[in-house]
Amino acid sequence: MRAAGQDKISRAARRLLSFQRHLGCPESNGLEPEDSPLTTHVLDTASGLPICGLCLHLSRLEDLSQQWTELSKSYTDPSGRCLGLLSPGQMKPGTYKLSFDTEGYWEERGQESFYPYVEVVFTITKETQKFHLPLLLNPWSYTIYRGSWS
Amino acid sequence: MLVPERIAYLISPQWGQQGCFWSLVPTGICHNRRELKGSGMEPDSSPLTTHVLDTASGLPACGLCLHLSRLEDLTQQWTELRKSYTDPDGRCPGLLRPGQMKPGTYKLSFDTESYWKERGQESFYPYVEVVFTITKETQKFHVPLLLSPWSYTTYRGS
Repeated sequence: MRAAGQDKISRAARRLLSFQRHLGCPESNGLEPEDSPLTTHVLDTASGLPICGLCLHLSRLEDLSQQWTELSKSYTDPSGRCLGLLSPGQMKPGTYKLSFDTEGYWEERGQESFYPYVEVVFTITKETQKFHLPLLLNPWSYTIYRGSWS
Repeated sequence: MLVPERIAYLISPQWGQQGCFWSLVPTGICHNRRELKGSGMEPDSSPLTTHVLDTASGLPACGLCLHLSRLEDLTQQWTELRKSYTDPDGRCPGLLRPGQMKPGTYKLSFDTESYWKERGQESFYPYVEVVFTITKETQKFHVPLLLSPWSYTTYRGS
């Protein structure tokens, strides 16, 4: 049986983690990683560290108008993740775009960069599938790939 | 006579700057260099070059359509400067004339979905767009793209 003190520390640690996640993604509404059908993870390959505080926008291309509609604006958390970009019911087949404000991130660090921003356009065909889009980033290159959360 | 844009290059020098679809050219025939030479622009004189590699097959991506655009300062609208196709080496010579380069924001758009569809391959990205900044018009820029159906990498090379 766990001591009462240990329970309090566990609860505090969980609350802190939840608070950090909320800070990273204001629109997450408390969603856990396993709830969101779309997640991302941004890593700074120049420093070997996650990128915290990077602003990103998620948009969807409307079928009829062929215009982009912004669905959410978020910031990466201390682990470079942005969970809860979409709530489970929001996912539907279509064309999406993740826009990362990379220039702002490098400017804050006094670093010149080649890309004013990074935009990734991708296709979702099955709304029941989960999608994980990590971005590996440095001032002079980037890699994007379709990964998996687990 | 209407011919596909890709094949027209092989027939007329005026299409020389639009690129070509090399996969239709029999081995040994090389119109590209002669035509470019006739137009006064050598393949390697462009201040901006790219190189597209298909990392799924380990081969250059040939015949991939790409567009180069520049963001106009005043209107903040994109203006297309060039539409081209990669050659058998995955390269696209003559994207810009030496005098065309000026500081600003540029975009290379790669029609990757069509490339994969022609090969019967599903892909995750309908296209790839790389937006970059040129600060010195006297510098040369090489922007390669390493591409697979599920991932891509771009970097500023040399």
